[in-house]
Amino acid sequence: MRLPDRLAIGDLLGTATIVALGLFALFLLVAPSVIVLIISFDTRAFVSFPPQGFTFDWYLRVFEQRVLVEAMLNSLQVGITVTLLCIILGVPTALVCVRGQFRGTTALSIFVLIPHMVPGIVLGVAVLFAAAAIGVSPSIGLQSISITVFVLAVMVRTLMSRLQRMDPALEEAAANLGASPFQTLRTVTFPLLMPAILAGAVFTFIEGFDNISVAIFTHGFRDRPLPVELLALVQTTNTPLVAAVSGVQIVLAIVALILVASSIGLDGVND
Amino acid sequence: MVAIPAPPDRQKPVDWLMDKLLSGQGVWPAVPAILILVIVAVIPFVMLLSLGFSDFSVSRGQIIDQTFSMRHLGNVLTDPLYWTTFQRSMSLALSTTAICLLLGYPVAYLFLIGGRWTRRAILIVTIAPLLTSGIVRTYAWLVILGGRGVLNNALLGMGLIDQPLRIVNTHWAVLIGMVQIHLPVMILPLIAVMSRHDRSLEEASANLGASRMGTLRHVILPLSAPGIGTGAALVFTLSYTTFVVPQLLGGGNYLNAATMIYEQVVYSLEWSKASVMSLLLMASCLVVLVGIALVTNHFTRWTRGRQG
Amino acid sequence: MTLARDLSLASAADAAQVLRIDKVSKRFGTFTVLDDCSIDVSEGEIVTLLGSSGCGKTTLLRCIAGFLTPEKGAILIDGRNTIPVPVNRRPVGVVFQSYALFPHLTVEGNVAYGLKMHGVPRREIARRVADALASVSLRGFETRYPSQLSGGQQQRVAIARVLVLEPRVLLLDEPFNALDAKLRGTMQVELRELIKRLGMTAIFVTHDQEEALTLSDRIAVMRGGRIEQVAPPDEIFDRPATAYVADFIGLSNFIPAEVRDGKVTLPDGQTLATEAQGPVRVMIRPHNLRAIPQGPGPWQGQVRFQRNVGPLIEYTITAGQSDMHVVALRRDRIRPWGEGDAVSLEVIDPEFCKVYPEA
Repeated sequence: MRLPDRLAIGDLLGTATIVALGLFALFLLVAPSVIVLIISFDTRAFVSFPPQGFTFDWYLRVFEQRVLVEAMLNSLQVGITVTLLCIILGVPTALVCVRGQFRGTTALSIFVLIPHMVPGIVLGVAVLFAAAAIGVSPSIGLQSISITVFVLAVMVRTLMSRLQRMDPALEEAAANLGASPFQTLRTVTFPLLMPAILAGAVFTFIEGFDNISVAIFTHGFRDRPLPVELLALVQTTNTPLVAAVSGVQIVLAIVALILVASSIGLDGVND
Repeated sequence: MVAIPAPPDRQKPVDWLMDKLLSGQGVWPAVPAILILVIVAVIPFVMLLSLGFSDFSVSRGQIIDQTFSMRHLGNVLTDPLYWTTFQRSMSLALSTTAICLLLGYPVAYLFLIGGRWTRRAILIVTIAPLLTSGIVRTYAWLVILGGRGVLNNALLGMGLIDQPLRIVNTHWAVLIGMVQIHLPVMILPLIAVMSRHDRSLEEASANLGASRMGTLRHVILPLSAPGIGTGAALVFTLSYTTFVVPQLLGGGNYLNAATMIYEQVVYSLEWSKASVMSLLLMASCLVVLVGIALVTNHFTRWTRGRQG
Repeated sequence: MTLARDLSLASAADAAQVLRIDKVSKRFGTFTVLDDCSIDVSEGEIVTLLGSSGCGKTTLLRCIAGFLTPEKGAILIDGRNTIPVPVNRRPVGVVFQSYALFPHLTVEGNVAYGLKMHGVPRREIARRVADALASVSLRGFETRYPSQLSGGQQQRVAIARVLVLEPRVLLLDEPFNALDAKLRGTMQVELRELIKRLGMTAIFVTHDQEEALTLSDRIAVMRGGRIEQVAPPDEIFDRPATAYVADFIGLSNFIPAEVRDGKVTLPDGQTLATEAQGPVRVMIRPHNLRAIPQGPGPWQGQVRFQRNVGPLIEYTITAGQSDMHVVALRRDRIRPWGEGDAVSLEVIDPEFCKVYPEA
C-alpha cells in the first residue's frame, strides 16, 4: 500500500518544521554561554561583540577582587555544607521511604519532596521571618540549612529511584555469605548507592553554590554568597569581569557534568 | 582448613540497628530529616501564614507586637497595583511555559528519533546550563540583547536596521530570557518519558499506515502527556516565582510578583505586605498547578490500572 | 554389645541427617503460606521443592536460609535448631534466582566475599577462591565483572561463591530460570554432577517438573503451603500419592468410577482391586493406554488429534464424554492412527492405574 504523495509532502514539511524548531532550541541553549565565554577574553573594558583581542586579564582580575573571592568561598562553604547535610539526612530517609515496612511511607516521601515544589522565594521569605521572630539573624548557617531543606528532595528522589531498582536479593546474598548487617551496609548497599549519592551530591552542591531565591533572604549580612554578589555586580558594572566570573562557572559546570557522566552515565542523570 | 565459625555470637548493637535500617523497620532513620523539615519548612510556613494575617512591627530585624488583622490581605486585594502585578506574572509565566513546550518538545522528538550520539549531545546541551547559575545565563542575554549587544550589532551590520533596537528593559527581553533559562527544565521530563517508549510502537504505527506526523500526533504525543505535565508544572512554578530574570532584563521598573516581594522584604521592609504577597503567590501558583495536574490526568487515563 | 551396636547405628543415622524441617508453619498476615511442613534431608541428598507459583516452596527455602522466621516448628541443621541463628551465621549457601552477584565486585571479589566476611586470612582466601573457581571451570575469569559474563557463567559464579564457604546445605532458588531453554538441560546435568562430586546436600526450588525429575534424589511436591508427597522421582511419577500430584507431574487421564466389593471396573472391562470406597477417580497414564483397531471391546473412541513428538506419537481420542490422552512409541512398520479414525481403547496394565477418592 502506498501513501498518497500529497500526504508524504505534508509529512516531510511537518518533520522539517519540528527538526528546525528543535535545532533552534538547542542553539538557543548553547549560544549564550558561548558568547559569554568569548566576551570574557575581550581586551576592551566594556561589553561588546564581536570582541577585539584576546586576554586572560579578566580572569586574573576576578581573583584579585576580594569581595568576589570571599563570596566564592562563602558559596563553596554553603555548597559543601548543603551536600553533606543532604547525604547524611537523605540516605536514611530514602531507605525508610523505599524499604519501610509500615503504613505512611508514601506520606513520608511526599512530605520530604514537597519543600522542593514550594517556590524558593516563598521558602526564603518564610525562613527569614521565622528566624526574625525568634531573634535569629541570617547567616551562612541559616542559608545552608534553608537550602538543604529546599533541595533534600533531589537527593532523596535520586536515592529512592536507585534503591527501587536494586535487587533485594543482593543484601540477602551478603547476609547469607556471612556479612553482618553493618558489613552488608558497608560492602554492598553503600557501594551500590554511591553513583546515586554522587549524582545527588553534584546537584545539591550546585544548588548550595548557586541558589539565589532562598539565599537572597537568608544569607548573612556580611557573608554574601556568590550569586547575591553577582546580581549586584551585573546591575552595576558593564565590564567583561562578570563574563569572566561566568566563564569560571561554566568551566566548573563542565567539570561537574563530566564527573556525573563518568560516575553514573548521562542517562542516569535523568531519573 | 578454616571452616565457618561457630554460630551465633550475639548480634552487636550496631548490627541490630543496621538490620532495622536495611529492612525498613521503623521511621527513626528519617526522624532527623523530618525534624529539620518541620523546623525549617513547616514552622516558618505557618509563621508566614500568621504574619499575613496580623499587624506587627519590625525592629532591628525582629518581629514585635503581633496582633491578628485582615487589614493587609484587604489592602493587597483592593489595590489595583497588586492585581496588575500578579496578572503580569501570570501571563509571563503562562507564555513562558507555552513557548518552552513549543521549543522543548521538538528537542525531545529529536532525542527520540536520534541515535546514540545525538542523544548524548542533546543531554549535554540540556543539562550543562542547569549547572551554571541563573544569573550567569541571564547576564548572557544582557550581552546579546543590549544596545551594543550581539543581536543589534548583527542587525546593524546587515543593514536591516538603522539604529539599535531597544530590547533590554522590555517585556520581550524578560520573556526571551525566561524561555531560555527554563527550557532545560521542560526538556528533561519530556526526554525521561520518551526514553521509556517502546520503539516497536512507532514501527507498529508506521506498519498500520500512519505517516511520521500521524505517529507523532496519535502515538508519541499522547504517550508523552505525563512528561508534558511535569515539565509544564516545573517551568510554570519557576518562571512564576523568579525575580532574577525580571530584575536583570526588565530593568528596575519591570515588576512581577516575585520582584515586588523582594523589594518589600529587602528595601521597603513592608513585611506584612510581603507575607500576604508570598501567600497569594503560592496560592495562585498552586491553583495553576492543580489545573495542570487535572488536564494531565485527563490525558493520561491510560496510565491508570484497570478500574475496579 | 548389642546395645552398643544399636547406639552406633542410631548416631550414624543422626549424622546422616543433615537437615530436618519439623512441622514448620508461616503466615503472612492472615494468609497461611506454609502449613505444617516436614522433610528430612540426609547427607549428600538432593531434594527438590516442586510446585506452582504461590505454593510456598520459595517461602520454605527462605525460612531455611533465615530470611524469614516461621511462626511454628523447627529447622534443624546437624541436629541444632537454627531458628534463633542470625542469617549471616547459618551454614547454608543460597544461589538466588537472579544470582544476586554483586555488580561492583569482580568474579574473584564475589567469590572471596564470604571468606572475607568470615575473617579468613588473606592467603587462605586466594587459595580457596582459586579452588572454587576451578571446580566450576571459571579459571581465567577472575577479573571480569558479572555484567561481562554470560548467563551460564554468572550461574557458575553464584555457585562458586557459596561452595567456597563449604556450607552444610546448598539452597538453590529456581537457578535455571534466567537461562535459555537449550542451556538449561546441560546445566542441570552438570550441576547435579558437581553437587554429587562434592558430596553436598542440596535443596532446589522449581516449578519445572522436568527439572525436578532430572536433578532430584527426592521430590517434595507442594500445594497451598502443604507438602503433598515426598518421594524419589520414579515413585512420584508412577505412584503419585494424591490426585493433585498425579495431575501436576506428567499427563494423566482421570476417569470417574464406583467401587463395588473392593473393586473398580475400568471402561475396557478390566478390574482393579482398591481399598477406597464410594465414588472414585481412576488415574491412567497416557502410556498405559493402547489404541487398537476397532473391535467388539466396550471402550470405543475416535482420534480427534494426533501429533508427532519425536520418538513418541501423542493422540487425543474422544471416547464418550471425555478426551483421553494416549501415547505410543513410534515404530517404523506401524502406520500411526490418523485424525478421524475409529479405534478401541484398552488399558495395558491395570496395576499401574491409581485410584483416588472423589474430591
